[in-house]
Amino acid sequence: MLTAIVIDDEFFAREELIELLHETGEVDVIDQAANAIDGLKLIHSVKPDVVFLDIQMPKISGMDLIAMLDPETMPSVVFTTAYDQYAVKAFEDNAFDYLLKPIDPKRLMVSVQRLAKVKSAQQPAHTQAQINALATKSLQQVPCVGHQRIMLLPIQEIEVAYSDISGVHVQTADKLETSQLTLKTLEEKTELLRCHRQYLINTQAIKEIQFLDNGLAEVITKSAKVVPVSRRYLKALKMELGIL
Amino acid sequence: MQLVSSLLQQMSVYLVLAYMLSKTPIFLPLLNISSRLTHKFICYLLFSLFCIMGSYFGLALDDAIANTRAIGAVIGGLLGGPVVGFFVGLTGGLHRYSMGGFTDVACAISTTTEGLIGGLMHLYFVKKERPDRLFKPMIVFAVTFVAEVTQMLIIIAVAKPFEQSYQLVSEIAVPMIVANCVGAALFVSILQDKKTIFEKYSATFSKRALTIAERSVGIWSSGFDASNSEKVARIIYEETKVGAVAITDTEKTLAFIGIGDDHHKPNTPISSKYTLQAMALNQVMFLGSGETPYRCSLSSECKLGSAMVIPLRAGKKVVGSIKLYEPKRKILSNINRSMGEGIGQLLSSQILYGDFQHQQTLLSQAEIKLLHAQVNPHFLFNALNTISAVIRRDPDKARNLIQHLSQFFRSNLKQNIETVTLREELAHVNAYLTIEKARFTDRLELDIKIDDELLDRRLPSFTLQPLVENAIKHGVSHLIEGGKIRIYSEKVLLGDCIYVEDNAGRFVKPEDDSDGLGLQIVTKRLRNYFGVHSDLVIDCQKDEYTKMCFLLPQPCLPDTQSGEVPSSSY
Repeated sequence: MLTAIVIDDEFFAREELIELLHETGEVDVIDQAANAIDGLKLIHSVKPDVVFLDIQMPKISGMDLIAMLDPETMPSVVFTTAYDQYAVKAFEDNAFDYLLKPIDPKRLMVSVQRLAKVKSAQQPAHTQAQINALATKSLQQVPCVGHQRIMLLPIQEIEVAYSDISGVHVQTADKLETSQLTLKTLEEKTELLRCHRQYLINTQAIKEIQFLDNGLAEVITKSAKVVPVSRRYLKALKMELGIL
Repeated sequence: MQLVSSLLQQMSVYLVLAYMLSKTPIFLPLLNISSRLTHKFICYLLFSLFCIMGSYFGLALDDAIANTRAIGAVIGGLLGGPVVGFFVGLTGGLHRYSMGGFTDVACAISTTTEGLIGGLMHLYFVKKERPDRLFKPMIVFAVTFVAEVTQMLIIIAVAKPFEQSYQLVSEIAVPMIVANCVGAALFVSILQDKKTIFEKYSATFSKRALTIAERSVGIWSSGFDASNSEKVARIIYEETKVGAVAITDTEKTLAFIGIGDDHHKPNTPISSKYTLQAMALNQVMFLGSGETPYRCSLSSECKLGSAMVIPLRAGKKVVGSIKLYEPKRKILSNINRSMGEGIGQLLSSQILYGDFQHQQTLLSQAEIKLLHAQVNPHFLFNALNTISAVIRRDPDKARNLIQHLSQFFRSNLKQNIETVTLREELAHVNAYLTIEKARFTDRLELDIKIDDELLDRRLPSFTLQPLVENAIKHGVSHLIEGGKIRIYSEKVLLGDCIYVEDNAGRFVKPEDDSDGLGLQIVTKRLRNYFGVHSDLVIDCQKDEYTKMCFLLPQPCLPDTQSGEVPSSSY
């Protein structure tokens, strides 16, 4: 059995697809989400084999969502769309599967069999290049999930992002939120710059840099947060700031 | 004294020749200062000829010749410039040299110098941007005077023996200076007369052509048909004062005005084979002068004696012809011929413009029809997907949704209806919203409050629905928690405003895509129907709301009575 989740902002669209997947007898739909942010959280928590993903969703589209996933651990993605001729062309070009709504059960069966094959081969479902070709190139906001709420933080408000044992956190001037994105994804898809193994810094938020002994440094942000800079990343940071 | 009178006689012969020449087209290039090589060459040939004539007509006098050669050289230089002047002088001079006599060398040199003097004066006036002065008889008189005096000095200086040349000059100087100066001045005066006549002629010509253009502009923009053609024919008839004017399309006479309208009737098939030929060859044809006689093909009594057929074109295609006639006692004058060709071109471009406007109107109608019929495919497939899911759990609700979808499509297909009542438009919107509500379930909240009094007011069809669609597509559907759309009316001074409001506040001025075009067409149709006060007004507070509203004007106001406002006043 394949495990799957369905992400779509329309209730009936989810219900219809879950029903059809159930009828195939090959897929176990373990959960569903009504938006991409909840969907992202679900992907990380239940780690399904496959995600059925709608493209047009509020705030964060299907394309944004796959930009937020780590390509190495990413599940197989099947896009669902009612009508989107440009996206469909891109899917075909990049070996992504897609389903047109209303979904034809026979066509769905073909997809499911293909997915089963991918699973048994135990390889990543999509190559890095294929994902990059489709995914949103640069994220403008970072989805954060708190207790009973969803936040979208614009990149320019973020001063620092860091990881610790409890997850990835993004720090603005006055808030600290927990993000579903990895530091690596944030580094690749946003303008945040790596300054430490566990820290990314927004260069626009730097107020001063204090140089310490043995090649270390500390960044003081505009809201007086202290961020460590490791020896390895100091040079790159200085270059970015044009002080080298 | 006898010398003066015989030189003046000689000059008269000369002027008669000049006058006769002025009647020929050879003269035309001389009337304007032109730098074209062919014109320069004509100038050279003509005045060289005058120089040579001057020498031949001269009076043999003491082994020399008293002559009017200078006129040719000086005017040649004045009109043709220094190079032409030099060669005219040289040609005249060499010819004189070949005739021999003790002044032969002196005459050759002096004639060339005279040509050059004329040429230098030409250069002077052109440089000062006063080429008109070259045609002033007084100036020509003065220049010739200087040239003749110079000639006399050269003869004294060059011709040997000195006593003989001095004797000659004292004898011929006065008569020759008088004859040449007066001759040159009169010669130029003939040229100038010709020039004045010609310019007056073209001024009247241009004025008439412009009047016709002005009066006929736009007549054909509503179509190349009989009633419009009659108006155009009448204008041409009045302005050109020809005997008669006819306009045809490719098959029949559309209009006929003037002599012979008793038997040349509009709306009859073209009978003249020349007309058909002119149209087939796409060429102007003249009949009744030269070899091709004009005979009326309808009646032997017809008083018309000559005709010109000018094809009318729309682009490259011949669409008809215009015919100018003169009665037998007159023939078509040159001016009417070239005017006729000009009119042909003018009218052709008007027909083309009319065609173009017609196409534009068709295009914008097609555009509106297209938008009516064009259902957002995203909406359609999502609706079908929703229905497909609803069928499982609630077949009755699914049936109901299909009814609404049908209603929505049915009113979309009513493309020819220009206006609808607000009630009908709201029903259309309701069908649309019922489907969208099912799709978005609890994410779409609706609130419709329109004053009942307004329901029978008329408005352009497809006005409200695009606004509501916009509010969903670019508004509420982008809210994770869902949103609300309010459709309501509000009394204002000039009538009632209809609002479509969402709480997303995401309106950005659309790009030039189909959505942008949709809103543009809504505005255009509102304005055409109600006037400028009803333009669509869009107010957006980011992340708070987008309000779109338009005015339903008070029906009692004059000019805004429903249905009576012209809807095609672009």
